Amino acid sequence: MTSFRREFPLPDTEWPPTREFWAAAARGELALPRCDACRRWRWYPDATCRFCGSASSTWTAVSGRARLFSWSVVRRAFIPQLAADVPYVAGLVAIEEDPAVRIVTRIVDCEPAVLRIDLPVRVVFRPLRFAGVRGEVTAPMFVPE
Amino acid sequence: MTADWGFPSDLDDVSGEVAIAGVGEADHTKASGRTTKQIGAQAIERALADAGLTPRDVDGIMHTPFDGQQFGADDYRAHFGTTHEMWTSTAGGGMVWAGSAPHEAALAIRAGKARTIVNVFSVAWATQRADMVGGPGEVHAAELFKQNLEVPFGWFPQPVYFATIARRHMHEYGTTPAQLGAIAVACRRHANRTPAAVLRDKPLTLEQYLASPTICDPFRKEDCCLISDGGGAYVMTSVERARDLRRPVIEVAGVGVGNSRTRTYWAQQGDFTATPQVFAAPGAFRMAGLSPADVDVLACYDPFTIVSLMQIEDMGFCKKGEGGPFVEGTTLHFDGGRIPYNTHGGMLSHAYVLGIAHVVEVVRQLRGEAAAQVKDAEIGVYGGYTGPQASTLILRRR
Repeated sequence: MTSFRREFPLPDTEWPPTREFWAAAARGELALPRCDACRRWRWYPDATCRFCGSASSTWTAVSGRARLFSWSVVRRAFIPQLAADVPYVAGLVAIEEDPAVRIVTRIVDCEPAVLRIDLPVRVVFRPLRFAGVRGEVTAPMFVPE
Repeated sequence: MTADWGFPSDLDDVSGEVAIAGVGEADHTKASGRTTKQIGAQAIERALADAGLTPRDVDGIMHTPFDGQQFGADDYRAHFGTTHEMWTSTAGGGMVWAGSAPHEAALAIRAGKARTIVNVFSVAWATQRADMVGGPGEVHAAELFKQNLEVPFGWFPQPVYFATIARRHMHEYGTTPAQLGAIAVACRRHANRTPAAVLRDKPLTLEQYLASPTICDPFRKEDCCLISDGGGAYVMTSVERARDLRRPVIEVAGVGVGNSRTRTYWAQQGDFTATPQVFAAPGAFRMAGLSPADVDVLACYDPFTIVSLMQIEDMGFCKKGEGGPFVEGTTLHFDGGRIPYNTHGGMLSHAYVLGIAHVVEVVRQLRGEAAAQVKDAEIGVYGGYTGPQASTLILRRR
C-alpha cells in the first residue's frame, strides 16, 4: 500500500520537477519549461526533451490565454478530500502558445452550461484547499474570457 | 491527426505455435474478505481441471508485478504441494498483458524454457477499497507528475480522465450519450445470461441508462466498470501438445502491442480520443493473416464505455469516429449482432478482473460453451489496454 503525504491532494511545491510551476503560480504567473535547444514546450517537465533529447530547459511565463480542450463536471467526490468541492469543473486547456500543450486545471466562476469546446479562457490564480487537509497552495485556474 | 504519438512493439511471429488448453475463473464477487492469492489459486485450480492437467504438469507461471500480491511460483508450489522448477515471468497477468502473455509464452516454449505455462491474474479490490484512495486509483495518485499536476485540480481518478476523453470524442465525432449507453446495455444483457457475472440479476435498459444522473458528466454510473474481487487463469502449451489434451485446440493466431509516447499521461496524448490499439491491432491481424471482418466475437478491456468505443474504432471494426453510430441498436449483441462484444458482460457488468476473464470468455466462445454463445464462432479477439499500451490477441479454433 502506497503511503501518501499528509497534505495530499495538495501539490508538493518542493518537488523539483514541478517546483517552478507552483512558485510561478504563487507570483501570479503561469510558467512552463521550454526546451533551450528546439524551443518546444516540455510538458510534462521530463528531464529530457521528447522531441530533441536535450536536457536543458528554461521555465518561461506564458500569456495565460488558452482554449478549453475538454472537461467534466464532477458531481461525485471520488476521494473524501474533495467532498466540499463537488460539483466542480475539472478539465484541460490548450495554451495559446502551442495548442498541443494541455494544462490540467479547474474552470471557475461560471455556470457549466456556458462551457463549450474551444471556448477562450484566461488564467486566474486561486487557492487550493481540501476538506480535512491543512494548508493551501495558489494554483492557476481558468475563467471564460 | 498524424499517427506519430505512438508506435507498435516489434514482436516475433508466433502464429500457430501455442494454444490455450485450459481456462478458469475464480468466483467473481463484491467485497468477499478473500485475498488476492486465494482468488488466484482458485482460478488456477479451475484452469487445470478444465485442461485435464495435474499441478505438476505446469512448469511455467506468468503474472503481473504491479500489486505485489499476485500468485507466483512459490505460492503455486506451496498451494499444490510440489517442489518442481518453474519458469516465471512478470510479463503476464491482466490488462494489456492478458493479451500479450501468449507471445511471451510462445517464445519461452520455443526456447525450451517451459512446456506448459499458466497465466494468472486476480484482485481483491472490492475488499480493499475502504482505503483512502484504494484499488485502481492509487497507482495514479502515487505517480508524481499526476500527484503534482493533475490530482490537485480534481482531475482524478480514472472516471474523470475518461469522462473528459468522452466529451472530446463527442465534440470531434458527434458521439452521443445514447451511443455510449448502447454499449452498457449490450454488456448488461450479456451479463444477465452469464451465471458468473456480478450483475447477472440486474437488467438495464437504454431508458434507465439515460434517466440516471451523471456522476462526472458525460458519464453515468453505468459507463464505469465495477470494483470486484475475482480473477482468472489460462493454460498455454504448444499447439502440438494441445492436440493430445482433452479440450478443443484454440490457437494463438496473432498478437500485437501498441504504445503511447506520452505513457500514462492521457492529458498530453497526441490523439486524445484514440488508444494505442491503432498501433497494436494491425500487427496482430497481419501475423494472423486475418482482418477485422473475419472476427466472430470481440472482447475488449472496458473500464469505461468510451474505452470500448475507441478500441472498436482503433482496431478497425469501423472507421475512426463512426463508433457511435456503429454500436447503436444490437450491433454488439451475441445473438445476431454484427460484432458480438463482451459476451460475458465485460468489466462493466461481469466483473472488474482487468481483462483476464475476457480471454477466458473468448476461449469459451470458440469452444461453443459460453453462456451467451455466438453461433459458430471460430475467430475471437481480445483487446487489452492499460493507457500507455494496448494489445490485440487473435484466437482461432482449430
